[in-house]
Amino acid sequence: MLLKFNASIVKESLLLLRDKAGLAMLFIMPMALVLLMTLLQDTTLKLLDERRTPIFVINYDADTFGVSVLNGLKQARFFDVHTKLNDKALTEEELRRYVLEGKFRVGIIIHKGASDALRNKIKTEIQEQFPAEEESLFEVDHDAENVLPRVDIYFDPIIKNDFKNAMTSALREFSYAVEAKMIFEIYAELIQDITDIEIKQNNGFQNIIDFREEYATERESRMVPNSVQHNVPAWTIFAMFFIVIPLAGNIIKERETGLAMRLRTMPGSNLPVILGKAFVYFIVGIFQAILMLMIGLFVLPLFGTPALIIGSGILPLFLITIAVSMAASGYGILIGTIATTQEQSSIFGSISVVILAALGGIWVPTFVMSDMMLKVSRFSPLNWALNGYYEVFLRSAGVSDVFGYIVLLILFFVFCIGLAFLYNKYKKSLS
Amino acid sequence: MSENFIQIKGLTKRYKHAAEPAVNKLDLEIEKKTVFGLLGPNGAGKTTTISIICNQINADSGTVTIDGKDLSADRERIKRIIGVVPQDIALYPNLSAYENLKFFGNMYGLSGNSLKDRIKKNMLDFGLEHKLHKKIKTFSGGMKRRVNLIAGILHKPQILILDEPTVGIDVQSKNVILEHLKNLNKNNDTTILYTSHLMDEAEQFCTQVGIIDEGKLIAVGNPKAMIEEYKTCYKLEDIYLLLTGRSLRD
Repeated sequence: MLLKFNASIVKESLLLLRDKAGLAMLFIMPMALVLLMTLLQDTTLKLLDERRTPIFVINYDADTFGVSVLNGLKQARFFDVHTKLNDKALTEEELRRYVLEGKFRVGIIIHKGASDALRNKIKTEIQEQFPAEEESLFEVDHDAENVLPRVDIYFDPIIKNDFKNAMTSALREFSYAVEAKMIFEIYAELIQDITDIEIKQNNGFQNIIDFREEYATERESRMVPNSVQHNVPAWTIFAMFFIVIPLAGNIIKERETGLAMRLRTMPGSNLPVILGKAFVYFIVGIFQAILMLMIGLFVLPLFGTPALIIGSGILPLFLITIAVSMAASGYGILIGTIATTQEQSSIFGSISVVILAALGGIWVPTFVMSDMMLKVSRFSPLNWALNGYYEVFLRSAGVSDVFGYIVLLILFFVFCIGLAFLYNKYKKSLS
Repeated sequence: MSENFIQIKGLTKRYKHAAEPAVNKLDLEIEKKTVFGLLGPNGAGKTTTISIICNQINADSGTVTIDGKDLSADRERIKRIIGVVPQDIALYPNLSAYENLKFFGNMYGLSGNSLKDRIKKNMLDFGLEHKLHKKIKTFSGGMKRRVNLIAGILHKPQILILDEPTVGIDVQSKNVILEHLKNLNKNNDTTILYTSHLMDEAEQFCTQVGIIDEGKLIAVGNPKAMIEEYKTCYKLEDIYLLLTGRSLRD
């Protein structure tokens, strides 16, 4: 058994070391993948951060409400606010057309008298708080009592719901600030009238609450989740699972050239030979992971990204890497056993890895998935791998925290090898 | 006294979706130390018979007994005494001859200096000692066939099964292979079962031949005795054509 296992390891290692194209695929391509995907996503995130969304505002209310909302939008770093196009104000119809054509993502119309309407509404509300028999505190325009300040918002049809929500939230925030300011002003005027004391008006009530943003990692950890922390482990797993293609191809090649047949005529089980093959590719997976982590640590910072920070330590990282590599090599053995041609194995192998990656949250984070897809994603070994790495890289996890994922990945390896073994037996029984 | 080393009784195998069985109630007895040629046109059932003996596929019915042991009950023990040389060059092209042979030797449980010595001796016997550490992909067709053969005899099998071992090679390589097989048969008492389409080669090389067609054995005997028996035939090929017909086979 051991002799066969060792012989298989030596043979596979020699074959792999002499296959320059195969080695390039196993190491250079994943390196390029991690590098490119991380840099691309990093650049995209920066662009999203730096590139403001063009919006156009027609402000017919040259009073507190209109001016404050306009200023608020201008001060928000997400929007590139336009009030004129080629030095010309737009009509409502033109604005709607430009938004439809995508020239502006959002068009906002603040209607005339919005401030007056708001003020009137506030005064009416305050008046209603006093007994009806009391004399009127303000001069309220009763004709305009039910007129509300009006703001129309037009969205580019291709805009995502997330952005729409963000936009409306921002507008509401500015409106509440104006409302609060107006209420303060009206009460100040009222108190001044009653007490004859001059009330100093300021905006001190704004931003009273101190929102402190921190990531819920260990206190002593200096990790800041960023594109490197997310992308390096994600694409490392993806690349590790791509050993399915050369490994499955290797198995099929042995079958096509009569080598598998020759091996089956030899005494003893063929399992040590298969396990020896899996072991070599398992080691390849470990080296791939080490190499790609090195890229995160030393190469990506050369391109201006933050360096990868290995969170909770080497041991949980090492254990989860071993489990991922085992799962990937087991999957390769299974695909190589079931596929009948090289074409089949490379197409099915690559597409299945892409599907498992998509389900597992490599392409799209699982938290944006629907409930159903979230449930499905839990069946992807790449999801277990990614969660394991995230535990280490983002949540400062210890061995016990990643243990569940390690067990799942090892069980997946055992399942693949077992299924391949049973499938071989089944095929032989049919022949 | 001769003994039946390989006994095949009522062997039947029908492949899935095939109209006719590939091997149909085949009975065959091969004595120890025989060089037995299994001859027949394409699709006659030669490879299926060999594949069953080599444990590649299972028979639907019938029995195969080798050295008194039932194949279905004693597979592992029988595998140890059989050497198989497939028609394909079943070698790793990117490994040297030595690396290939070491790997296959290990698969038979051989290791260390004894394996090393066997590899060197065989490479020398087959005129390949200077190519020991060269990659298989740099070898000629004849050289590859010779290494392919060595891989099947490293463990000194009692039965050597060869599927068209001399197909597509030059006369010199063919001569070396056949000479070596004769020596194995003579010096090591190795029983040889081989298939071929080359009637002249079979006539010269085999001590017994069996002609198989449509899964059934239609003639068996010593080639020279058979030629004497069939008065109108002057060589084995004539008997073969007489028995299997001249129509083309797919």
